[in-house]
Amino acid sequence: MSRAIIDAREWQKVFDLRTGTAKADTSPLDQMVRAVQERHPYPGDLDSAGNRWVTDTALDLMERYDPSFVFLTYAQQYFSGRYSIQTDADRAAAVTAVYEEVERFVAQSGFTPLIVGTGGMIPLLASVDLTRLDGLALCTHWSARYAGLHDPSPRDLRTVASHPEIERIVTREEFLSLFRDCPADAARIPEYLLVARQGCMFKTVGGAFRKVRKVPAPGYSIPVSACLEEVSDSTDVRAAVEKRLRNGRVALIFVEGLGVEDFPWPYRAIDNGREWFFYETGDAQYLTVTTGRHQVFEYPVGYRYFEEDGPAMEFPFSGYFRSVPEDAIAASFGGRSIAVGNRSMFMHMATGADISLECFARNLYNQGTMAVIHRSDKA
Amino acid sequence: MQCNYCERRCDLSGGKPGVCRMYEDADGAIRERFPHHWSSCIPSRIESIPFYHVRPGSRALVIGTMGCNFSCRYCSNAFIAKEDPTLVAERMLRLSPSEVVRKARQMGCGSIVFNVNEPAMSFPSLLELAEAARAEGISLGCLTNAYTTEESTEMLASIFSFFNIGLKGLSPAFNRDFIGITSVEPILRNIRRLAATRHVEVTTPIIESINDNELGEMARFLADVDPEIPWHVFRLLPEDEMKESCYPDIETIAGALESVRSILPYVYFHNFVGSEWVNTHCPGCGALVIERFSLGCGGDKLKSFHCAGQGCQDCGRQIRLAGDVECAWKHGEVQR
Repeated sequence: MSRAIIDAREWQKVFDLRTGTAKADTSPLDQMVRAVQERHPYPGDLDSAGNRWVTDTALDLMERYDPSFVFLTYAQQYFSGRYSIQTDADRAAAVTAVYEEVERFVAQSGFTPLIVGTGGMIPLLASVDLTRLDGLALCTHWSARYAGLHDPSPRDLRTVASHPEIERIVTREEFLSLFRDCPADAARIPEYLLVARQGCMFKTVGGAFRKVRKVPAPGYSIPVSACLEEVSDSTDVRAAVEKRLRNGRVALIFVEGLGVEDFPWPYRAIDNGREWFFYETGDAQYLTVTTGRHQVFEYPVGYRYFEEDGPAMEFPFSGYFRSVPEDAIAASFGGRSIAVGNRSMFMHMATGADISLECFARNLYNQGTMAVIHRSDKA
Repeated sequence: MQCNYCERRCDLSGGKPGVCRMYEDADGAIRERFPHHWSSCIPSRIESIPFYHVRPGSRALVIGTMGCNFSCRYCSNAFIAKEDPTLVAERMLRLSPSEVVRKARQMGCGSIVFNVNEPAMSFPSLLELAEAARAEGISLGCLTNAYTTEESTEMLASIFSFFNIGLKGLSPAFNRDFIGITSVEPILRNIRRLAATRHVEVTTPIIESINDNELGEMARFLADVDPEIPWHVFRLLPEDEMKESCYPDIETIAGALESVRSILPYVYFHNFVGSEWVNTHCPGCGALVIERFSLGCGGDKLKSFHCAGQGCQDCGRQIRLAGDVECAWKHGEVQR
């Protein structure tokens, strides 16, 4: 049974991850994790100490659990880039800061790092307002480039077809065909996927109101550490990690909001999607890397997420996720694994690590941290 | 030219903007500056808003506009409520009343709830929306600070059928120093007025060592208004000017609330993940009648419902519930 430990600052509670039922479990492993959470309160998504929290928390947890595989996510520079006014100097400083944090982790842990930049960021040029369509347009997953369109009228289709900031209109069938090797529940996929031009983002009902400053840059290619010579696609990363795990300890490190244009390590550019489709940072991109196969339809962009959010919904702490992926990289790894990150509450699902520790924040509101323990039998 | 929508009663003559900056003097009449501009239009579980005693398990369309007549130092939505509306307006959604109602229908929302900022900022738009919603059989609710004049409180009552009113503190010093108003009396008056004819829940954000000493007095006031009024005590996560302040200690506040549970039967403590103080127990026999789950900023949700109609399954006592309860959740989804 997977369990979630919530730390809301000076108050902790253990829950069954699947049902959300409170648990009294106080095993030594739980106590150890709870103590780590107590020692490392999350400073907040926009706080400059957010990335230091990742390194400090990971090193603390590693000292007590002794894992062979570590998954890390550094995201402070992504949040500040998305929502703060940044000069070029500010941006450069943010990149330097995350570089130094990752290097500090590598130096202190001695792990072999495999670093992935999830894609760069560029200034927002324009918003594409879809709220007045007759049908229902939805953005999900904090997406800027993609929106789902449900039940459009003929007038809607004429409107989006003539919109100068819409790059492409993709039918459900065309989208399914592009990833025909991926399992899909076609009914959950919007009738049309709308694709915005570079630098533009969709405005739909259901969106958050905070002013966005930057959006994902065109991310057909993303950078990975130059040592990954055999990798040419994001679906190849997993095998490369597993290969290195046979000979030593490995840290797979996601650095959010950095693309090939500002990746501070020697890198190799790899494919991050297929044809016109590239992954924006988010759970689908994480899942693609951690499972080694494309994952565009598991929780499709622009879907009617709220229809699945009923009282019977399982995994209440896990965002869009409705089940634990069985083939995530850490889930099928025989050694010990941990994951630490400040991106969102999906890392514990996307990685399947024995122990995950992540921030519990939503729309930048900081509610503390959450640890998830999937495996106790390796302790 | 005096604006009489709220108790600030701002002078708008000569182009003065007023505290909220949302109304102007238009040749002797008060005119809304940004009609039908919405900062939010998003489906939500009704428990997340929060309404715990209205159509449990249902989905509501949450809307909001911009601007506020309060100056709460800890404001969680300062980027909407405190920003100059002229700077924010271009990012707003511009939807007519019928379009808002259609979005509610498209997303399966049985009600529309004004949240985010203060409904008194947008009276003319909300009057039109209420008319369009009523025609479609959709009810309206709101969160409000209730700092409205007596006349506009009647307008609120005509627009909305259920309310969650913010009662932030009682002392003049607190209201002056943390909220920026001279007196809480209009709010107390309006709670009495609205609770007389509408469903009212009340929310109090708690700042430890600042207003937690008033919990007992607030509970007694509320019980005097309505002995079964639902009361949400929020663990305030201070933002804006108080961003560096400590979060209230959960056990301390929970302990302080124990003493008021004998005064009010429906007392909740939440706004943090995993709160165990979000369930409803029958005031008659103590049986668990509505079980909820709290995700803090991620919102609360219905987990199980154990009423028979509007009564306790065990003893039959009436439970405070508003709206069409039987239609409010999908049968089979709720654990009965």
